[in-house]
Amino acid sequence: MRAAIEAHDAGAEVALVSKLHPTRSHSGAARGGINAALGNAGEDSPEAHAADTVKGSDYLGDQDAIELFCNEAPGDIYQLERWGALFDRDAEGRLAQRPFGAAGAPRTVHAADVTGHVLLQLLYEQLLAREIRVYEEYFVWRLVIGEKGCEGVLAWDLARGGVKALAAKAVVLATGGSGRVYRGSTNAHACTADGMAMALRAGLPLEDLEFMQFHPTTLHPSGLLVTEAVRGEGGYLLNSGGARFMRHYAPEAMELASRDVVAHAEQTEIDEGRSIGGSLLLDLRHFGPEKMREHFHGTRDMALTYAGIDPLEQPLPVRPGAHYHMGGVATDLDGRTEVENVFAAGEVACVSLHGANRLGGNSLMETIVFGRRAGRAAAEEALKKSDRAALGPGAQVDGERELARLLERRKGERPRAIRDELGTSMNENFGVFREEGKMRRQLELLENLRERYEEVLVEDTGRVWNSDLTQVLELGFQLDLAVCMVSAGLERRESRGAHSRPADFPERDDQNFLKHSLVRWSKDWLDLSWKPVTITKWQPQKRTY
Amino acid sequence: MQVRLQIQRSDPATEETRLQLYQLDQVRPAATLLDCLEQIKDEQDGTLAFRRSCREGICGSCAVRVDGKTALACRTPVAELVAGGRLPTIAPIGNLPVVRDLVVEMEPMWQKMRSVRPFLRPTSDAPDDGRETVVPPTLMAAVRKEALCINCGACVSECDVMSVSPEFLGPHALAKAWRLVGDPREEQNAPRLKELSGRHGIWECTRCYLCNERCPKGVDPRDAIAKLGAEAFVAGVVRDRGARHAKWFVTSARTTGWLRESELVVKTLNIAVLVTKIPLGLRLFRRGKAPLPLPRHKAADLAPARELRRIVAGQDRRGAQGIVQGERVLERIERVRVPEKPAPEVEDF
Repeated sequence: MRAAIEAHDAGAEVALVSKLHPTRSHSGAARGGINAALGNAGEDSPEAHAADTVKGSDYLGDQDAIELFCNEAPGDIYQLERWGALFDRDAEGRLAQRPFGAAGAPRTVHAADVTGHVLLQLLYEQLLAREIRVYEEYFVWRLVIGEKGCEGVLAWDLARGGVKALAAKAVVLATGGSGRVYRGSTNAHACTADGMAMALRAGLPLEDLEFMQFHPTTLHPSGLLVTEAVRGEGGYLLNSGGARFMRHYAPEAMELASRDVVAHAEQTEIDEGRSIGGSLLLDLRHFGPEKMREHFHGTRDMALTYAGIDPLEQPLPVRPGAHYHMGGVATDLDGRTEVENVFAAGEVACVSLHGANRLGGNSLMETIVFGRRAGRAAAEEALKKSDRAALGPGAQVDGERELARLLERRKGERPRAIRDELGTSMNENFGVFREEGKMRRQLELLENLRERYEEVLVEDTGRVWNSDLTQVLELGFQLDLAVCMVSAGLERRESRGAHSRPADFPERDDQNFLKHSLVRWSKDWLDLSWKPVTITKWQPQKRTY
Repeated sequence: MQVRLQIQRSDPATEETRLQLYQLDQVRPAATLLDCLEQIKDEQDGTLAFRRSCREGICGSCAVRVDGKTALACRTPVAELVAGGRLPTIAPIGNLPVVRDLVVEMEPMWQKMRSVRPFLRPTSDAPDDGRETVVPPTLMAAVRKEALCINCGACVSECDVMSVSPEFLGPHALAKAWRLVGDPREEQNAPRLKELSGRHGIWECTRCYLCNERCPKGVDPRDAIAKLGAEAFVAGVVRDRGARHAKWFVTSARTTGWLRESELVVKTLNIAVLVTKIPLGLRLFRRGKAPLPLPRHKAADLAPARELRRIVAGQDRRGAQGIVQGERVLERIERVRVPEKPAPEVEDF
């Protein structure tokens, strides 16, 4: 939405296409906040924000992107406020800022524990203010690539049925993440790697796919996210012996170390038998009712609803869960990709801002800063072209033929078992800790799942609101992406950020792996290459919290 | 756990509606209704259509009616629904046309939301320092609850007025309207309130409170409508029939301590409408349903009414600030009181 708003303001004719109504996007579930060095709650600067982000990325983030991001973030926050964002205020009436993991200053602007929700509604309001056309519940499943790059997209119209071909002079992918390839994930059902897989199939390289962030506090058994803000405000983690184990992993920052560090500590505790049925305990009892009500009533409500636990009375059972994909479609600072007319921003993209590990509060900000930049660049690209946007002949027929094949199949396996096996095996073999043998096994397993997918059965043959069809297409995206993730993981023979191989390659190896992986799909062949990391000011150092 | 559900199915081709019984034999005890719908679609019937995404009550996709009451499927523990062998009926939400099974056409709701122009329109310049507008936190709190709205349509589904007067703006759009009118940064409140006070606007609400009751996020749309009404009074937007009606309640209580119903009609309606109501009035009178205007309906002792008025006026809460809000969503949180405890010392393994 941020990209659409900017492209509109830059003078382009814009339409937003989404498989969900725009306010139902998963950005709405982001709770804790959005980072910008405003310095409202203590000394801070964009430079300090950048230094924290570089360190958080385990030195894999591109430092030009990080610096630009941190410099532009405050201006974007002021603009959001001006548009009507309902951020919390301090006693003076300025924007309040709270501490977050691995941040040197209280830098996270927030709206209680519903920051993403508030921003999502705000952007939709701004979309309406500009009367930007929205094709909602249009399920896009293919980029149409012609001789001069991308010509538009193909979508299945969920409400009415049928393939809709949408021509465009520029396309911005803003389709979010892929967390649903894991069984244990904080992500919505809708986060199925659509944009990444479409880009892959269109020949675009995907960058740093091995880096999936596992969030340290996902509520058992639902897998729902407990915001990092509860640790920022004094919540702490206990093992089965009642000890604050983070002391041994991050003596300074404790629970507020970066997410990869906390998740790895938890997994170690679990693997070494100091968990309670695979969970650690997140203790918030000392908050008391006032603080809980003011700042975390959403969190408490969630714990009561989905775990039957009142965090004022009992600690919450938590464990690491797939949360955010640092990797994605490789872009430059303006969201440009390798294929003409295709842009990407947000979780689907990899600028690379987050490197090997994202800091809490940087992803909402990323959608705004890079959404804006991609929207601007896409509009400029489109306005340069004088001819009408048009799709090559055959695109629509091609798409119709592909879906007809699925809809007309009468025998085959239902998607459920394939999806379950994908999710379970990814957790098992490509989870918090990885090792060679398991990754190889996972690739074999994925090959088998992909073969079975060739005969998958769509039971619903109707046209109106056929979500059985779209869910099968989503599963196809997920399978393709999982293969790329594991392949990249195998080749990265080191431990860096979220990619941790304690058994075979426990150390970071800057000599050989201070570089981004790039995966490309060419004629059913996976091609893996590398590209250097951009370093401006900060040389890699040993990373402790 | 075994779960049996009766789901309302409708076929868009034949426009036929029927109830279909599903039985799941292996359901996790903590499963939600949404988990069960997913399980049915995965294991038994791929043709079942419903919306869903986040599964944590924030995307607003999965509102359905459970035995007639609207709720988010993802926030409804199924164990409670089927306790004691009950067979719940799951149907699409009300007051919106059904597309298929549990999926409804939301466009009428979005159209109403758009009609209140739901975006901030500050006219004054941005602060000179290029930074944020400075607003005291107490003022920002005025729209805190309305900002929680997830557009799930539960309030629309429950609205009694919309079921007979489909053009009513309704609780969703009006709560959104308050989100803007109540924002201390908004500078065009008078024209907004004028529009919202018109036909099918704030005064069409009958105050049944079902929207407050069933909103899964505690937005309390009816309270938002009351706040809009109160601000309309402050802004002097009082020409609407509904506003005159409200005004008369106050006047009547102030002057005689009681409500004078026969005068209420005269004070509310304009003369042209009033004339058309004369036959109705006469019929009411014949049946003993309309009291004579004289002698005046009057409390024996006016003092308590005046005292109450004095107390309220003495609080000096103007407009929306005078609206006592339901805090239903917070009730659950208020219930438990635990003394503050310090964090324990860091201990070793």
